[in-house]
Amino acid sequence: MVVDNSKHASSFRDPSGYIFTEEGVIKRAIFPIYFKQYNALTTSGFFDSLFKNKLLIPHSEITNAVDKIVIQPENISFITYPYEWSFNMYKEAALLTLKLQKYSLEKGFTLKDATAFNVAFHEGKAIFIDTLSFDFYQENTPWRAYKQFITHFLAPLVLAHYHGAQSLKLMSNFIDGIPIKMLASMLPFKTKMNPFLYSNIHLLAKFEDKHNEDYKGESKASVLSKKGQLNIIQSLYDYIKKLTLKEHSEWGNYYDKTNYSNDAFVQKSAIIDTWIENIKAKTLIDVGGNDGTFVRKINTNLEQALVCDIDNNAVDFNYKTIKENKESFITPFVLDVLNPSAAIGFQNTERDSFINRMKDFAPDVTLALAVIHHMSLSGNVTFDMSAKFFASFSKHLVIEFPKRNDSWVQRLLNSKVDFKDHFNWYALENFETAYTTYFEVIEKKPIANSERVMYLLKPKHVK
Amino acid sequence: MHFLYFDPGLGAMIVQAIVAAVAGVVLFSKGLMYKIKTLLGFSKNQEDDMFDDIEIKDQDTENK
Repeated sequence: MVVDNSKHASSFRDPSGYIFTEEGVIKRAIFPIYFKQYNALTTSGFFDSLFKNKLLIPHSEITNAVDKIVIQPENISFITYPYEWSFNMYKEAALLTLKLQKYSLEKGFTLKDATAFNVAFHEGKAIFIDTLSFDFYQENTPWRAYKQFITHFLAPLVLAHYHGAQSLKLMSNFIDGIPIKMLASMLPFKTKMNPFLYSNIHLLAKFEDKHNEDYKGESKASVLSKKGQLNIIQSLYDYIKKLTLKEHSEWGNYYDKTNYSNDAFVQKSAIIDTWIENIKAKTLIDVGGNDGTFVRKINTNLEQALVCDIDNNAVDFNYKTIKENKESFITPFVLDVLNPSAAIGFQNTERDSFINRMKDFAPDVTLALAVIHHMSLSGNVTFDMSAKFFASFSKHLVIEFPKRNDSWVQRLLNSKVDFKDHFNWYALENFETAYTTYFEVIEKKPIANSERVMYLLKPKHVK
Repeated sequence: MHFLYFDPGLGAMIVQAIVAAVAGVVLFSKGLMYKIKTLLGFSKNQEDDMFDDIEIKDQDTENK
């Protein structure tokens, strides 16, 4: 038997086709079982209309044979997963799925699945990436993907509304959506008084519980008019569109709270700007990039900038700015650098780890601004460990080191109380010793009138 | 025709009739409230939403 390693590890559920990589390019093979749907979607202009509206990833047909059609979708250079989205990113992905289902129904099609992993963020927008998710609609049948939509989209969003944006992280454990019974149990009692939440969550949980032992399929298949299904879709859309977080964004005035004088701030962004220009960087990742402020100060034209932060609100703020400015080069996502997204799913290969995705993305430069003191003092990560981490995926590293006397460092140190002396190693000399083991220093610049020093570093193994 | 590669949930299929009925009532009453408010002049100006409507336009989006 020939083992085909090119097949993508996440592409095994849907028998309509599969994704594979050929010479580094992502392609999709379609089997005869899906030819009828594919041809109908193509000739009716359904695909075209979605391409033009930037709702479905565009593809071109590479080969068309009797046993297999191969298409090549537009490349998305960095995939983010649902558990890395901010609240409003999650909302956009949910609304996109509903939009597509409504449009499908109007055109005689339906989405046969509704997993959150069918959506990616591309050029500043949510985009549907599973081209083979569309099937023919059969009159008066309910939506097969309804439960999946609830567990993948409504569940995390409603939990985030009641319990905070951190609930969205639950998706990293429940790869096929949040279990409906658990979801119902986690919601406050008053949600039972809300007709929308009662019917879509509590009643659904009851029905699922009641019918889960019907192995013989004795219960009758149900009937639902198209109008009825459209009502469900529209009410889900209306509810999700209005959904908000109760918590306040901490980041709105973040840069007012820091110990930067306006002058130091300008100086810091000027240093970054010059270095980015000198090394001719086109792609970057800003680790701990808050709301993307410093990335937006870069004058060089970047092809893509990943901006991640541990704080969902900061990422959300960044995402809103992207929407307002209609920017297409920034990809924001939520990431805890002390616990980056792991590889999950069958054989731990369906959803890739952050580290692996970074190695593939291979950014020209990594920015680590005002992040080393958090890693060292809050996370107890030694300089040697963080240097090794950054060196593993960066072609260049721009790192900012706040010295011991910096007020923020002092604050973190004071919070350690008796344990404070343990952190005597947090000093500029030790930082330089550890980092020069892995990097060569290209440039070093102190920021005037501050306790901070900027470094431009290059890993020693990169020639 | 249908590829049963994941379990749609039997309860979830049956419950949709009820969910749709509830949604119908909710949508109808909201529409009615909106009309009444507009008539009485209470209606707010359309907020500047971050997300647009559910409708997808056919073809005519070249100039977007």
